Amino acid sequence: MSKLRLFQRDIINSLKRSNMTAIGAVLIIMIIAASLSSEHFLDEYNLKAVVRDLAFIGMIGIGQALLLLIGELDLSVGKIATLCGVIAGMLMVTSGLNPFLSLALALTLGILLGALNGLIITKLRLNSMVVTIGMAGVYGGVTLVLTKGKAVTNIPAVVHFLGKGNLGLVPLPFVFTLAVLIGALFLVKKTKTGRYIYAIGNNKEAARILGIKVDRIRIFNYGVMGFISALAGILYVARLGSSQASIGENWPMNSIAASVIGGVALTGGVGNPAGALIGAAIISVIQNMIVLLGVNVYWQSAVSGFVVVAAISFGSISAIVRDRKQRKAKMQALAKINPGEKNCGQT
Amino acid sequence: MPVLEARRLTKVFPGVTALDSVDVAFEPGRVHCVVGENGAGKSTLIKCLTGVYEPDGGEVLVGGRRRGPADRTAFRRVAYVPQEIDLFGHMSAAENLFLPYNQSYFRGLVSQRRLEERAWPWLERFRIDVRPDQLVKDIPISSQQLLQVARATVNEDYEALLLDEPTTSLTDGDAAALFDVVRRLKAEGKAVIFISHKLEEVFALGDELTVMRNGEAVGHSELDRLDVGAVITLMTGRPIDREEVFRSGAVTDEPLLEVENLTGERFASVSFRLNRGEILGFYGLVGAGRTELMQAVFGYLPAYAGRVRLAGAELKLGDPSAAVRQGLIYLPEERKKYGILPQLSVRENASISALDRLGAFLGLSAARENALAAEVVAAYDVKTPSLEQAIEYLSGGNQQKIVIGRAMVCEPRALIFDEPTKGIDVGTKTEIYRMMKKLAEEKGIGIILISSEMEEIIKCSNRIIVLYEGQKSGEFMGGTNKDQILSAAFGVVKN
Repeated sequence: MSKLRLFQRDIINSLKRSNMTAIGAVLIIMIIAASLSSEHFLDEYNLKAVVRDLAFIGMIGIGQALLLLIGELDLSVGKIATLCGVIAGMLMVTSGLNPFLSLALALTLGILLGALNGLIITKLRLNSMVVTIGMAGVYGGVTLVLTKGKAVTNIPAVVHFLGKGNLGLVPLPFVFTLAVLIGALFLVKKTKTGRYIYAIGNNKEAARILGIKVDRIRIFNYGVMGFISALAGILYVARLGSSQASIGENWPMNSIAASVIGGVALTGGVGNPAGALIGAAIISVIQNMIVLLGVNVYWQSAVSGFVVVAAISFGSISAIVRDRKQRKAKMQALAKINPGEKNCGQT
Repeated sequence: MPVLEARRLTKVFPGVTALDSVDVAFEPGRVHCVVGENGAGKSTLIKCLTGVYEPDGGEVLVGGRRRGPADRTAFRRVAYVPQEIDLFGHMSAAENLFLPYNQSYFRGLVSQRRLEERAWPWLERFRIDVRPDQLVKDIPISSQQLLQVARATVNEDYEALLLDEPTTSLTDGDAAALFDVVRRLKAEGKAVIFISHKLEEVFALGDELTVMRNGEAVGHSELDRLDVGAVITLMTGRPIDREEVFRSGAVTDEPLLEVENLTGERFASVSFRLNRGEILGFYGLVGAGRTELMQAVFGYLPAYAGRVRLAGAELKLGDPSAAVRQGLIYLPEERKKYGILPQLSVRENASISALDRLGAFLGLSAARENALAAEVVAAYDVKTPSLEQAIEYLSGGNQQKIVIGRAMVCEPRALIFDEPTKGIDVGTKTEIYRMMKKLAEEKGIGIILISSEMEEIIKCSNRIIVLYEGQKSGEFMGGTNKDQILSAAFGVVKN
């Protein structure tokens, strides 16, 4: 078999396995529906705004997908993003440090905070959800102590460009998201660590018996999540031009929703980080449509929440419908063979 | 008239005909055994007979009438005891027995006291020596197995009882208690369907026998007209030498694995030595601490005291990855729970331990990985439709072959086989014995074999160590008389 064909088969297999084709189709349908229902959807300005929005949820969603693959999650992503964004801002504005050095320090802090989550979860054998809810409180609290609730303004223009600027037509944050995606895909498809992530998500005990250093990989994943959170936080600060304590409020839930819509199983071991990006795109298109269609401001949150739940249920509803149909067909076939025997119940 | 019957039953899965026009009928008051190699179609037959699968052809008759899977009430007459124990560990025996509480105290309410009162007669009837309020996780495996049978029969209008390998986790003594119960149910006029890999049990208990091979029922007869050899030939399609032994012929006196005074949760101060090229058997009753001891040697479970040396080098306790790196691999008993990565493919399962060797310029090389997986599949004769098949859909024997093949890819010095043939048919068992012998002889690997099957221990081991309640109660040379080993296992003699 030629290399190319092997490669093609690889792609086809991974597409089949992660149901990516179905999710991609849903996204395309939504885009078509959006452009038909609102003439402004395809405006360059609108599209750029949507892409800039989805860059953040997409990026966090990719990290969340890595954690979901080992059957865990991180609800402190938004607070890590805020803290790192604020610290980057304070370093470059208040302390007058070189902007890029400040960014590097903030990213490193993100890795450390993520790894701290991982350390607590693995070494104390605690549940990831409970620990990260608690740590979200800690990180959010530290941010408030540092800023006393005030925003840090006057972010240097070079940094501002990272969040506000475009590469050609593409908003820069989305370029970073694509870079994160390529990194994540390389990790899960092409490295030992990636394969171990799937092994752990499939069967943690079997992975230990195979000699895989399970806790080390778990901590690694939390570190990656921390890094991505910090990156998203910094880009958001760059986009706003000021760092404030309120960014990333809805990132934890939206990133998990994006992963689940993208076909990553909450139980671990199944899915593809690319799905999370498609999921994030679906969520962003939904939210954009709600705005474009002029839904009452007070209703927006309820409507977008409902549509997200509907999107998550999509896969499982189609499975239920399929089961029903099969059962009905079989009952009819049986009724033909045994006419008149409607109640063959217990005596 | 048969209470449960299959006529020309056919079930096709993509690429395999699991059942091919099978006829079988189960009469009341008889024990009807079904035997066959792994993949012969027994599980599929069970699933059709219990209304889980819809057959693609033919019919299932319960109480003389044709039934489809939608007919839940009809299939309630078939009581089914699954192979693996699936009780709720943190609930009491009584709660487990009557779940889902159909005849509870008052609609929606459950009275603990009434449940326990109602449980007593059932526990007595099945000779389960536990109190109704004991948590299932705290009672012995043998009682759990009997409790599963009791639970299946709590629904009083059942007519057929289907036992799927009920003795895999039982020792011979416990199995005897189960057989007494089965004989009584038979005397009450129930049709008992008994599925087993252990032919001695089939001959001890059964009235008639159906043999399955490659999805077909290849033979049906009264058991008193058959002998073991004939049954094996029918099952495998080829005769098997039952007297063949598989001890290693290349035992050295070079120590490979030395364990000194190892103490842990379920065992105390155990010392032993395994030599290169040797097969060392560990026998004992269920709960004697064999698995716990070996998992601690391997580092999966903690050890409180003692030391382990592998090829002269100290082994770090409590760290399985260090053990694997130094060349000690543990092949677990419960493949589903500890062995396989269920949703990953055959390829990914086969290569997971050898990823270091599959590196290419840009990450793992798909071509090299495919080659490695194909090699494992060929070398260990794994039957799979493709390398991309998720391993959970393969039969137990094929999963076990991949688990062994994957271990061998790491070129280990010593292997611990924990019940390697549990739930595996006679033909594949022999293949696994040959594999162990070959590894010991050709590669000088030291092998520890944990088994609850006396015959297996005697056939394969150069030396046998017996554990009793977490302590060494005897050490014997291969080929020792069964009685001596058994009395050591029961703690009768100490030598």
